[in-house]
Amino acid sequence: MNVGIMGVTTRRGGVPVRRAGVLAVLLACALGATACTGRTAPVDRAAVSSVDRPAPVGVVADPPTSSGDAAPVPPCDPRASLRPGPLPKPGAMPEGSTMRAIQDRGRLIAGVDQNTFLFGFRDPTTNKLSGFDIDRVYEIAAALFGDADRVQFKVITSAERIDALKRGDVDVVVRTMTATCARWAEINFSAIYYTAGQRVLVEKESPIASADQLGGQTVCAAKGSTSLNKLRELTAKPRLLAVDNWSDCLVLLQQGQVSAVSTDDTILAGMVAQDPNVKLVGPRFTEEPYGIGIPKQNEDMVRFVNGVLAQSIAAGSWTASYDLWLRAKIGEASPPPATYRD
Amino acid sequence: MGQPMVTTAPPAGDAPSALRRAGRSATTTPGRLSVVWAVLVALTVAAGLVSALTAQTKQDTLGDLVEQREPLAAAAQQVFRSLSDADAVAASAFLSGGVEPAALRERYELDIAQAGAAIGDAAANLGSDPVAAGHVSTLSRQLPVYTGLVATARANNRQGYPAGAAYLREASGLMRSKILPAAEALYSGDYDQLKAAQADARSFPWAPAALALLLLIALIGAQVYLTRKTNRLLNVGLAVATAAVLVGVVWASAVLFLAAGKVADGERTGSAQADVLVHARINALKGRADETLTLVARGDGPGYEAEWGQLVDTLTGDGPANLLRQARDMAGTDPITAAMADADAWRAAHQRIRELDDSGQYENAVLAAIGSDPRSAATAFGELDSSLDSAIRAARTEFATATSGAGALTTGLPLGLGALAVVAAAGISTGIRERLREYR
Repeated sequence: MNVGIMGVTTRRGGVPVRRAGVLAVLLACALGATACTGRTAPVDRAAVSSVDRPAPVGVVADPPTSSGDAAPVPPCDPRASLRPGPLPKPGAMPEGSTMRAIQDRGRLIAGVDQNTFLFGFRDPTTNKLSGFDIDRVYEIAAALFGDADRVQFKVITSAERIDALKRGDVDVVVRTMTATCARWAEINFSAIYYTAGQRVLVEKESPIASADQLGGQTVCAAKGSTSLNKLRELTAKPRLLAVDNWSDCLVLLQQGQVSAVSTDDTILAGMVAQDPNVKLVGPRFTEEPYGIGIPKQNEDMVRFVNGVLAQSIAAGSWTASYDLWLRAKIGEASPPPATYRD
Repeated sequence: MGQPMVTTAPPAGDAPSALRRAGRSATTTPGRLSVVWAVLVALTVAAGLVSALTAQTKQDTLGDLVEQREPLAAAAQQVFRSLSDADAVAASAFLSGGVEPAALRERYELDIAQAGAAIGDAAANLGSDPVAAGHVSTLSRQLPVYTGLVATARANNRQGYPAGAAYLREASGLMRSKILPAAEALYSGDYDQLKAAQADARSFPWAPAALALLLLIALIGAQVYLTRKTNRLLNVGLAVATAAVLVGVVWASAVLFLAAGKVADGERTGSAQADVLVHARINALKGRADETLTLVARGDGPGYEAEWGQLVDTLTGDGPANLLRQARDMAGTDPITAAMADADAWRAAHQRIRELDDSGQYENAVLAAIGSDPRSAATAFGELDSSLDSAIRAARTEFATATSGAGALTTGLPLGLGALAVVAAAGISTGIRERLREYR
């Protein structure tokens, strides 16, 4: 009640004040006519009407096609790798072999990713590289040295993978790398250790439901990836933004600068795991068999790595690694059957 | 001329009317004397006004150097230092894994606070410099974006998501591509203005010098003329005026000469040395960021290591490119000697990091880069930065002392020159009136 009465009093008291104000304005208008009729624009200091939005380092709009696809590619079975022989004992690699050279060096040099959650990422809490791909590296190191830790990781971008192998900077590349015939022409691949497929990642409320609806939309993919080439081949052309690392795509999506990210479902699952506000849409529209990249001349190493993969699958460590990193995010899967040629 | 010499003394108290009458004709001697009087007084007033104003301007310029120009350049340098350090610290915090150490977090927060305050100060003291305004605008628009990205990176890191690293890369890219270049350009602009103000303070005052010279010639000419006309050797009034002008010229010359010397000292051993040291510090800070980012990228990434090499070549070695050597040659101080030793230690520590990282011992390399071990790069760099800070402070003190000394020399000069002009004008009037009286 008190509050009500006070409210009324205030209102009553307020009316004359307002009237007086109106009168004062009218009087001012009468005296200084120009102030009311001729309008003067207010002065705006420090007017800012647009902003430079932050963008990941190295982001490129409409990236040029990578040269590898321009050359004619002989038809092949990208899944077929060299048949493994019997594995030598750890620390006793045959004289003159590539593995012997690595053993003498004392460490395996592996080209990996540190930005792709679940496959190859730097765990910020432990400061260690972890993931499904990193586990494959440890298996190879263990088979070479009997000590999984004798590894030097070199972080490379998608676009650097083939050059790093050709220059011999790294012994192996384990970095969600799809075995394709174009790449087979330049490097060797191990047997396939996982098969992914390209899909589309969008914000939860996005109307985009599949890759067909990406036409005219801004879509992110990593430079030098097969995903980027596939997006170019879509009938409804998206506007492409290419970045160095897949996690840069998540940043762009979270910052509202792209409508979608499209790549292997495995990589996208890692993004969903980092942000519950995004979702995977549409079916897989490609098949991406992952192989371990090895320099073209090191065929003995290919056979050795294939032996390690076969052993890992047989011993159940492939499944243990899959269960640890991927099963909860992607679902059940069994090791892909190995295809060999001689 | 050619008129008979009249030497009768005019009745006292008749001066104004005599002047007026004499002024009617410039062909008569009294008429000529009136013209001489008018010219001399006009010259005296002009010389007095111009020299007093010039002296006042010099005094203001000297005060402005110490209180405005140099502090602004120092503030701009502070913006660069704080932001660059913040970026390197953010990268170090990331390398240390998990939750960043409290010391690094506090250092980052202090860096951002210092940068924010220095940007605010720069904005408040822009004057009407559109170029500097552009840089300050870039800084004040982008700094909040940068801190937002770092905060997002931290939030992701704490949840164990590698998106944190992506946000940190984006933040660092923004810092290196937009913010730091603006800070560096702001500093360069401020330093150029400082140098221009110093040149201004040292410059020779042509206008008052020419006027004073003209006045002296006119005074001497007038006295020679009067001596010829009156056969009297000395006109006391004009002699006093001449003496006053001479005192003014000698005083002003001595002050200007000594002040210019002090300003030059303040420049050579002060602000110019500070500028060289600031560039050394900018390079050191950039190099430290490169060092940590190489480890964050875990591979050479976009050529951080090559850039590190180029930057550190400006801090070590015997070449002419060594900025610390240049600074020492300008004026050797203890902090500069210390900084030279620190730079060598840092280079050695960096080489250890590279050896460890290149031989596959990444964890040890990270420890060598950011650990608190006395041999770590973090320690060596910290010492280098603090030596450079002391060296810059010493050079700034040198500048401020010398330039304030120059300012102190000019104390009383504007007023004094004004007073001397009044004395000279009075002397001229008395001297001429005395002669005019003789024509009554």
